[in-house]
Amino acid sequence: MQEANATHAVDSTGEGPSRREFIRAAGAAGLALALPGGSLWAQGADPKNTLRIGFISPRTGPLASFGETDPHVLTLVRKALASGLSSGGRQYAVQIIDRDTQSDPSRASQLAKSLINEEKVDLMLAISTPEVVNPVSDACEAAGVPCLSSVMPWEAWYFGRGAKPGAPSPYKWSFHFSFGVGSFVRAYTAQWNLIPTNRKVGVLYPNDADGNAIRANLAPELAKAGFTIVDPGPYENGTTDYTAQIARFKAEKCEIFNTFPIPPDFATFWRQAAQQGYTKTVKIAQLAKTGLFPSTMEALGNLGFNLAGGAYWHKHFPYTSPLTGLSGVALADGYEAASGKQWTQQLGATMALLDAGFAALKTTADPKNKAGLAKTLGTLNTDTMAGKVDFTKGPVPNVAVTPIIGAQWVKAKPGAKHKLDFVITSNADDAKVPVGAKLISYS
Amino acid sequence: MTNALLQGLLLGGYYALLAAGLSFLFGVMRIINLAHGSLAVVAAFALWLLADRYGLDPFLMLPVVMVPMAFLGWLLYRLVFARSLRGGALTPILASFGLATVVDNALFQGFGADTRSLAPYIGDLAYESWALPGDIFVGQLAVLVFATSLAVLGGLQLMLSATTLGRRIRAAAEDADAAGLVGVDTHRIYGIATAISLATVTLAGLAMALRATFDPYAGPSQLIFAFEAVVIGGAGSLWGTLAGGVILGIAQSVGAHINPQGFLLAGHGVFLAILVFRVYGGPALATRWRNLKGAKA
Repeated sequence: MQEANATHAVDSTGEGPSRREFIRAAGAAGLALALPGGSLWAQGADPKNTLRIGFISPRTGPLASFGETDPHVLTLVRKALASGLSSGGRQYAVQIIDRDTQSDPSRASQLAKSLINEEKVDLMLAISTPEVVNPVSDACEAAGVPCLSSVMPWEAWYFGRGAKPGAPSPYKWSFHFSFGVGSFVRAYTAQWNLIPTNRKVGVLYPNDADGNAIRANLAPELAKAGFTIVDPGPYENGTTDYTAQIARFKAEKCEIFNTFPIPPDFATFWRQAAQQGYTKTVKIAQLAKTGLFPSTMEALGNLGFNLAGGAYWHKHFPYTSPLTGLSGVALADGYEAASGKQWTQQLGATMALLDAGFAALKTTADPKNKAGLAKTLGTLNTDTMAGKVDFTKGPVPNVAVTPIIGAQWVKAKPGAKHKLDFVITSNADDAKVPVGAKLISYS
Repeated sequence: MTNALLQGLLLGGYYALLAAGLSFLFGVMRIINLAHGSLAVVAAFALWLLADRYGLDPFLMLPVVMVPMAFLGWLLYRLVFARSLRGGALTPILASFGLATVVDNALFQGFGADTRSLAPYIGDLAYESWALPGDIFVGQLAVLVFATSLAVLGGLQLMLSATTLGRRIRAAAEDADAAGLVGVDTHRIYGIATAISLATVTLAGLAMALRATFDPYAGPSQLIFAFEAVVIGGAGSLWGTLAGGVILGIAQSVGAHINPQGFLLAGHGVFLAILVFRVYGGPALATRWRNLKGAKA
């Protein structure tokens, strides 16, 4: 009752002064808000003291599962760089400007151009699939802006954009570190020798950039390693019936199966293969391009258990991110806690790209000097979340090769938070990575 | 070859089910609903949500999802088609294209990028099969989908020819103004037709989610096959749509049998060939050919 009276009293008597007070208070608050805001703005406006980094990845559209974890990683990195970055004896504020390609290559190219021309970025970072990395690299190459990228086979990046084998590198500004055909050969031969099979490999490679590169380069290498390749030939993405291919694999009794499909096609194929009785004879089903992320595997239900995959990063990689100081397990657990979703290998890959990019900015003499930064990238040799990135040894200039690790999706232990566990089964490409489990036969 | 034909036939059943609603709507209102595939994905997500969150069987939940989908259809007519039809024949196509984009991105906002499937919720039915002599396997789900598409198209046909509502729909489709003169509320009829179309879309969404996977952007790629089935079978004819689906399915399956790359090629090839034949017509082509030969001689 007293309280009510008190409020009433304020209401009736304090109207006039309170309005004046309010205006005064608002003015003060506005000033207070404006001051630090103003100084931040002033800092941002002084291009000499701020490093601007463009970050382009696919967050929406068909490739969205690649970019899904990027906001989390960017938040961690921004936090780590809140007080800026010191390079060449100077302290710089850091601004990471991230953009979403919506899985569209022409949009990726436009975004890169606008980041270059309007945002005046000092370094461009691009990640995940040729549809993102190639157009961004091309735009940077044309505009003379240093660009570092990752997560697509390096052959498709280097040769796919016009470089010729044996000729000097045509690229001056773009640099790429990722796995390649050699990484797959090492991982697969190690993985496929773990269980006895008839060494006959049924391959299902689509008629697209990845599929054709793999058919031309990987299949002959596997044949050299003593496997018989049964290839029914390229098929188009979006095919909804695989009767012909399954019949061929059954007739040839292929106990190993290898494929590079887009995820929806694999689900259709694998269910049909189960229908036609082929999956019961398969001992190792090795997936690439699909099978990277837990959600695609969960969608397969019981057919998803014991499919083998490759990993460009795994939470048990024994490395820490120099930029954030996080270990693999800490990064994965942090993501699971923040999002409620299972960790994916993209977390470490995105972190590794940022690690490498900022390592270059740190070590270069003047991070605002684009030519100098490009030179630093060309000889960069640094540790990242995903292991060593070394541009000095590359098979070709502008490229550093990183490993692929053999892994398998197994049924999670009872009581686990998620349905599937991703375990490391072979480590031929990087012996420092600990093997966590034995490869289990699919059927 | 027998296997390829059989699997193609069953695949055709799936295409026909996918195309049923599209064909029906086109027959009644001359509207090509480009949001058809995306709406099938909406139904799939609704069923998935019920199965994943509450462990409810997708087959049992079919009516639960079908009713709101039908209501959504009615809303779709009232809010989008009825307005855009006033702007001419092309406007509804553009409006439905815009709607598809909105639906796809709204789904992405709500459900994220993950790939989903309903197959894990129906036990092993998604890949159980019957073995036939000659090492031929027939998927049980594929047979079920084929039977469903027969039932849906047959049911729609029966409804059109034997019920009062069907007579009114046919009247409105034939001549909307004349139907209005004799007391048919065409506005209402169109609303009901769109509702029926979206009810069948629910079945199509279920079939898609059971046999493959789906994600927020899976709609447009499904639309292509449905659209081709409608065109091959003759726009607006329901049994024609079944025939169209089967022709498309067999063409693809046989195409893939000859060469794995022939799958989509053969399907699109048959589609184009029939489209050209329809546009220029058999007799007209024959006359042209004769004229051409005459000119040479």
